[in-house]
Amino acid sequence: MAIEVAHLTKSFGSGVTAVKDLSFTITPGKVTGFLGPNGSGKTTTLRCLLGLVSQTSGTATIDGVPYREIENPITVVGASLEASGFHPARSARNHLRMIAAVAGIADTRVDEVLHTVGLTEAADRKVGGYSLGMRQRLALAVALLGSPSFLILDEPANGLDPEGISWLRSFLQHQAGQGVTVLVSSHVLSEVQQTVDDVIIIRTGSLVYQGSLKSLSDGGPAEVIVRGPSVDKLKETPGWTVRTGEHGELIVIGVSAAEIGHRAFTEAVELHELREVTPDLEALFLGLTQSEGGAQ
Amino acid sequence: MRNLVKSEFRKAFSTKLLWILTLSALGFVLLSVVLGVYLTPGPPGAEDVNALLVPAAVTNIFSSAGSASIFVIILGIIAMSGEYRNQTITSTFLATPRRQSVIFAKVITYTIIAFVIAVIMWIAVVVVASILLTTVEHAPVEWNAVFEILGGTILGLVLYAILGVAIGALITNQVAAVVITLVWIFVVEALLTVFVDWLGKWLPGGALNSILQATNTSGFGGTEALNVPAAALLLIAYTVVFASAAVFSTNRKDIT
Repeated sequence: MAIEVAHLTKSFGSGVTAVKDLSFTITPGKVTGFLGPNGSGKTTTLRCLLGLVSQTSGTATIDGVPYREIENPITVVGASLEASGFHPARSARNHLRMIAAVAGIADTRVDEVLHTVGLTEAADRKVGGYSLGMRQRLALAVALLGSPSFLILDEPANGLDPEGISWLRSFLQHQAGQGVTVLVSSHVLSEVQQTVDDVIIIRTGSLVYQGSLKSLSDGGPAEVIVRGPSVDKLKETPGWTVRTGEHGELIVIGVSAAEIGHRAFTEAVELHELREVTPDLEALFLGLTQSEGGAQ
Repeated sequence: MRNLVKSEFRKAFSTKLLWILTLSALGFVLLSVVLGVYLTPGPPGAEDVNALLVPAAVTNIFSSAGSASIFVIILGIIAMSGEYRNQTITSTFLATPRRQSVIFAKVITYTIIAFVIAVIMWIAVVVVASILLTTVEHAPVEWNAVFEILGGTILGLVLYAILGVAIGALITNQVAAVVITLVWIFVVEALLTVFVDWLGKWLPGGALNSILQATNTSGFGGTEALNVPAAALLLIAYTVVFASAAVFSTNRKDIT
């Protein structure tokens, strides 16, 4: 159960294959980050999941049912897909009221969600005059309207200032605390790093990694910083992956500090620093999502 | 469906578009009445004769109410294509993934709105025309025909509103949809009506004119018109074809 994507492929008429045989499962009651660079197929995947785009093959279901077959879907799944989906001359309150009417949601719920996202004061102003951050909040209000048990948010942090991102973080944690299953996409790991339990990472429409954020950092190859006046002598050691850092230090990947220390001792290389570092998640993320040629 | 129609009414009444187009239509219709009362030309070769001494010419003034059709079709187009333009279509289809229901709800909503607009236009025409006609010499008003025109105006405007919704779903680029429709009505259909004698009455505009009992004073089309029931059936057929195509196309569209 929960959110399940299986062998999802989407080719557009223009010959572009945005998603290729993508499979993943979202555990209920957790916050899952859906990560990948811009253009990696995140939005297309979410739009297939939400029945807005028809996939070429494969399935995408929520509690075992395709979105288009869910009865009164916004009371089951809340989604925010783009900050610009508003009529500029319509007020936030009227935008919410027109959606509430479809699902038979009481107008008092409109006031509640406006309060939740902090738009009560601006509710009767035209959305055309809103900042990007306010539009993002309104998009979240739309997603919350039906008190859904799933939240699917596409780049909700886009356009938010640091204060807004911190607000979003506590918002998502609060939702997860209420037992809501959250899927939140981003192209920047650091935006969601402190919020998500699990991550799904895709690149050019294919899965690169699925699992907990913790095992991603644990599983990465450790790096050892080696500093000294003549450390370059260690550079050619067979079997080591070595690069030179910004200040002339060596960075050895996947070799233990003990082994490096021993090698330095036998080669009579003077060491000033020998330090293991936990891999930087951002660097790992970039390593996973950049194509080999370095081109996007 | 009740909820969906309620939502469509909230959409329609939360922007100024409806008011702007209704007021524009009213202005246009009343201008037509003024021109009809004071500038209806006499029969060919006798332009100096007061044309309003012919009862049909007087009746024709009242059919001006139907010239709101152009505004009503644009209202329908913008109601549908505007959702794509402002990307509210995403929210709309998230709330109602059975997309044909959205189109049906818009059809019902704009049927009601076009009905009300038609009644408003007809009343305005009757009031203003009755006042203006006291200032000129004219044949007596045939009130039976004027009430028939009310029915025709309602049917014509309702069908044009639905056609507009269908066009807006088929051509989701709002500017393109409006431009193509205006070019069709004012250029293509007008020229076809003038130059292809037998064709005019079979086109949507020709059918609309028959329903409105507007005679050939517009300068276009001297051919005989279809009778009202036939014209009504023809325009209903056009509307059903366009609306079915709209449902078919909308259900297959990727909303990106």
